[in-house]
Amino acid sequence: MNDATVVRAVDARKSYDGAVALDGVSLDVREGEVFGLIGPNGAGKTTLVRALTGTVDAEGTLELIGEPAGDSDRSRVGLLPQEFGPPARLTARELVAYYGGLYDESRPVDDVLADVGLAADADADTWYENLSGGQKRRACVATALVNDPDVLFLDEPTTGIDPAGRRALWDLLDALADSGVTVFLTSHSMEEVERLADRVGLLRGGELVAVGTPAELVADHGGPARLVVSGPEIEAGAEPLRAAGFGVEVGADELVVGDVSPAELGDAVAALADAGVGYESLTWTEPTLEDVYLRLTGEEFEGAATPGASAVGGDGDRTGIERGDATTAATAEAER
Amino acid sequence: MSRVGRIRAETAAATRSFLRRRTAVIFTFFFPLLLVLIFGVLVRTQPGGGGLFAQPDAYYLPGYLATVVLFTPLSRVGSEIARHRDGHRFEKLATTPLTRGEWLLAHTLVNVGVIGVASLLVFALVTLVTGARIPVSVDLLLLVPLVALAVVLFCGVGAVLGRVSDSQDGVIAASNSVALPLLFLSDTFVSPDLLPEWFLPVVNLSPLTYFSRGVRALTFAAPEGDGLAGLGAAANLAILAALAVVAFGVGAVAVPRGE
Repeated sequence: MNDATVVRAVDARKSYDGAVALDGVSLDVREGEVFGLIGPNGAGKTTLVRALTGTVDAEGTLELIGEPAGDSDRSRVGLLPQEFGPPARLTARELVAYYGGLYDESRPVDDVLADVGLAADADADTWYENLSGGQKRRACVATALVNDPDVLFLDEPTTGIDPAGRRALWDLLDALADSGVTVFLTSHSMEEVERLADRVGLLRGGELVAVGTPAELVADHGGPARLVVSGPEIEAGAEPLRAAGFGVEVGADELVVGDVSPAELGDAVAALADAGVGYESLTWTEPTLEDVYLRLTGEEFEGAATPGASAVGGDGDRTGIERGDATTAATAEAER
Repeated sequence: MSRVGRIRAETAAATRSFLRRRTAVIFTFFFPLLLVLIFGVLVRTQPGGGGLFAQPDAYYLPGYLATVVLFTPLSRVGSEIARHRDGHRFEKLATTPLTRGEWLLAHTLVNVGVIGVASLLVFALVTLVTGARIPVSVDLLLLVPLVALAVVLFCGVGAVLGRVSDSQDGVIAASNSVALPLLFLSDTFVSPDLLPEWFLPVVNLSPLTYFSRGVRALTFAAPEGDGLAGLGAAANLAILAALAVVAFGVGAVAVPRGE
């Protein structure tokens, strides 16, 4: 990655029939950087991709590879639209050859198909409409790679792809980024963005409300780590923990201890032991990018996924004495 | 190579896509053949009689050919644009070097090929089945540019219909609404003497009229009509060419850019 800016938006604004899709978005993406864009449905992610690729007009300054977005060198740009549906009765091989044929220079079709895991003849020579959902998406990704782009826009590239295929695609994107390709990625998968992106931007209601590395966003907006102590009659442990200096919320058969660092775990356990309070499980959870997402988008709500629950899903770093019950933890978090 | 290569790639993809939709292929050729069989064989003409189909068989060849050069490009290009919009293909194409004019040219070439073959079948069927007498001369070769230019013209109109319609259903409805009046009021099946005097200038406004009269000047021994109907094939061809250039230009601008 170097300091050259290849994607730039300054005060980008766009409305559709009075509904604001972009509300003063400004960002820079550097050459070789993987930039992840997250946000709820309707936040403006796809509109921002379209504005940056010049496929819709928007107010403000929008530049791609040093040119106004609509005038940039098209041979250097690759795009995978969100709901892309290519000609259904072309084979995967024909599709890649077709889009490759639109450029003066393109990569060998078989190489591109191999990159997305469709190298086998049985897959490559199957009509697009007869491929599985994941294979279709991979074929679509291939059409964005065939011109060997310098800047790659991928609008939810792994939707519908199975875990193995998704990880293979992540490895491919890693390799592309390592080779200097700039990747602008939108996704609803926090795991994907956390895994791939050098920096992440969060859109909400057309506004870019936070930008930074995943670690920076978690540190700034993720909230405190917490400890969940579960067991019958566990409420007896609330006072000893408070006496030891911890903030405690009491839930149904559990205590949620807020802002606990790893170094303080021993103190919490000792406070319970000294008070003779037994427990069935202790679960410590660090905030994750999903916590950031839920907090900044205001999508936290009772009974649904929350920071604690998301960590159980595998996104967070968990120091688990025993794996906790996500639903219970989520409820406690929401009530707090 | 750039432009030629891009058009070749788009044309090849569009051709494959069309040929693999068997229903579309069958009906593209079946519809005009059905018309010839219904009107040319079952209804039959009554030379010298009154009403519709009172002219000799050869008089109606332009009408049969008009069905393919009119309906097929309108519905095919319009539907193709609707399909492209549904699949966000224009959004993708807008980030490639392919221009809107190149896209329309590629799809027009496919239509010229398809409709050329269909026209040949119609021509053969009309002459073989209805017994129409077509004067054979080297001038008949002018039928090729007449058909090609008419296809170009209506591909441009089809692009406009595709742009203004918001779905494939809408495209079909719009193309039928445009095509049906044009088909019967463009000096094709309905001869001008069956229309009121005041309406004849409207006939001259239809681009299909120049195709019909051009074809008739080549294939019917005694061209009839009034006004521009008396022009020869070359003059009608020239007018059709001018209209085709305009329609193609408008159609190219109408092709969506980023949907």
